[in-house]
Amino acid sequence: MPASKNEKGAKAPFSSSLETRPFRSFKKKSRRFFFLLALFIPTFSVIGFLTIYPTVRGFILSFQNYTVFNIRRIRFIGLQNYEKVINSGDFGLILWNTFLWIFFSVLFQMLLGLGLALLMRKPFKGRGIYTGFVFYPWALSGFAIGLIWRWLFDGSFGIINDILIRLGFIETGIGFFSDPTLAMLAVIIVNIWYGIPFFAIMILAALQGIPKDVYESAWMDGANPINSFFKVTLPYIRPVLVNTILLRVIWVMNFPDIIYAMTRGGPAKATEILSVYMINIVFYENNNFSKASAVGVIIISLLMVFTTFYYLISNTKKMEM
Amino acid sequence: MKKILFTTVLLCILLSSVLFSSTTLRMIQVFSSPERTKIIENIIDKFEAANPGVTVELISPPYETAVSKVNIMMSNEEPLDIVEVSDWLLSGLVSMGSLENMERYITHSEQAKYWVDGVVEAARTVDDTAYIMPNAIYVKTLFYRPDVLEKYNIVGAPRSMGEMMAICQYITNGKDQYGFTYRGIDPVNFMDLVLCSFFDDIDPACMYKTASGKIIFEDSRALEGLKFYLDLYHKTSPKDSISWGFDEQVNSFVSGLTPILFQDPDTTALLNYLLTNGVYKTAPLPVGPGGKVYPTFGFGGWGIPSYSKNKDMAWKFIEFFNLPENAAYFCKQYGALPVDSRIYDQDPYFSSEVFAGWAEMFADPETYQITAYPIDNEVWGEWFRFQGDIQERLLMNRMTPEKALQEFTQFWKDAGI
Repeated sequence: MPASKNEKGAKAPFSSSLETRPFRSFKKKSRRFFFLLALFIPTFSVIGFLTIYPTVRGFILSFQNYTVFNIRRIRFIGLQNYEKVINSGDFGLILWNTFLWIFFSVLFQMLLGLGLALLMRKPFKGRGIYTGFVFYPWALSGFAIGLIWRWLFDGSFGIINDILIRLGFIETGIGFFSDPTLAMLAVIIVNIWYGIPFFAIMILAALQGIPKDVYESAWMDGANPINSFFKVTLPYIRPVLVNTILLRVIWVMNFPDIIYAMTRGGPAKATEILSVYMINIVFYENNNFSKASAVGVIIISLLMVFTTFYYLISNTKKMEM
Repeated sequence: MKKILFTTVLLCILLSSVLFSSTTLRMIQVFSSPERTKIIENIIDKFEAANPGVTVELISPPYETAVSKVNIMMSNEEPLDIVEVSDWLLSGLVSMGSLENMERYITHSEQAKYWVDGVVEAARTVDDTAYIMPNAIYVKTLFYRPDVLEKYNIVGAPRSMGEMMAICQYITNGKDQYGFTYRGIDPVNFMDLVLCSFFDDIDPACMYKTASGKIIFEDSRALEGLKFYLDLYHKTSPKDSISWGFDEQVNSFVSGLTPILFQDPDTTALLNYLLTNGVYKTAPLPVGPGGKVYPTFGFGGWGIPSYSKNKDMAWKFIEFFNLPENAAYFCKQYGALPVDSRIYDQDPYFSSEVFAGWAEMFADPETYQITAYPIDNEVWGEWFRFQGDIQERLLMNRMTPEKALQEFTQFWKDAGI
């Protein structure tokens, strides 16, 4: 940085005031420190207010008995909220649902997003408009998407059933929300549809950064398109994929909008994931924010464990390569 | 001279402060919808015109989050002067000490003299003290589509549960015609209504107890009633009605897919808008094998927060809102039963065929016995979800009716009813 170079320059051995030199230097450094601090304060304040404070508050809440009807008699109750959540009888099912929801959503979002990015990589007429159409789901509200798809999948009045009946594939409408497996399948399909654009955007950007001469060298060495994909394309976009997958896992886990709008976690908790469970606690258990916070802390803990292992594994693979 | 000038100025200031002083009342509604907001705003406009210097600020949070919003605002003692309180919200707010005791207002109110039966008891649901001024009643009745039933040579509405099942089964073809409009999401009122119709001794003060104090779910008649209710789903309703809420129920009824529906009076506003006059009718709820049926008396009303600084003005607005002409306008447009008996005589709409079901039920209190939910019990909010979850398991054959009733019994034993 230019500033530090100047400071080094100020330490010239033939300076006229040898006694005051360390003091001046200290003064300069402290001034610089406070200047940098002043630059950081707005950012830290916003992060502190919007992220750190709610996280810490949520953590404290999870050990209290805070409900809206109990706002004046709040006290610490130890791990009782966690015990209630874990011993609720459905916690195992909710964890399993959360795993299915994340795994299939992210897997197919990534595969289809990758396919889409590969298709859009080469320039063609009207690519800009086409790209806009492809990416538009990402701009919509998750809750609105859930409501729209809820009607599309409706067993009696839904367009999907209507099309299937008209095409002669089925005779009566499929009750997508009356069957646990179909309900989970429906919400995952919608989430895949919603999340493909994000993967496509990220991967397309990474693809455009691959130098053409690498492919030319590979072709000259006799590589076919499949070899080129696995030996050139994939290694180049790998860092982007690793980070995008991690981001999506975190977001999808914290994304109750679609499920809440479509099924509210039903039928019989078949689509209830942790974040939906958290909302249901607030709405149906006398606004029990403490118990809901305990679920929130569980979500954060699981994500922290996952992130650590994920980075450990992806770094090991990187070293192997 | 100076003294005269000083006194004149002082008098002018005092006079102007009296003349131009203004009061702002902040009120919040919980059953928000754009249409309902417009109706209330019209009444507010009339009130403001009749009371210069008074402004009423209406807060209309989205329906889904309105209850939480009210709870949070009241807990934090945020400025509020009038709060809409539904029957299910009442006990919580009273236990928080957030609602003003309105006895002193209601006992002196001329309007209270004309309340229909049950309203006084409804206002005094908690601690036998009136904490709200009811503004509407919600009692379920049977809605039916004569045009659809006539296609199958069925005239009139079913009078008993057995007859209803027979009709629904008869017209159900499993493809594009079903009978009963089932409610999958938040089924509390629906399941209980059918289940209790198999009894003839329900406690008028608590729907989940018999007159002898026994929890109804322990009784063998509850098993019969529950099996009957499950049959309504399996034999006469579309499969996906397991996930139906109010919107889907209305949609299905309007389309004619399911011509028989149990619903509250607020459905009439929507049906009047979606269907032409006379296409739907109402009839009394079908009676069970015991010859009776037990609808609950739902209500909503206006309360005053205990910390409000404009209590008397708030009461003035509440009384104004409940004047027969305003209450009639509100109930007709929104779709609710008025609490003031004069309205039923004055406004022909409330004695029209649309209200035939309620009129007949209210005229025969021996057969149609009004009962109440244990809404003052603190687990009431939890019960709502608990019963819904178990119903879904029952419908998917993941739980037996016997086991479900055991769970229900245990739940209410633990809750101490």
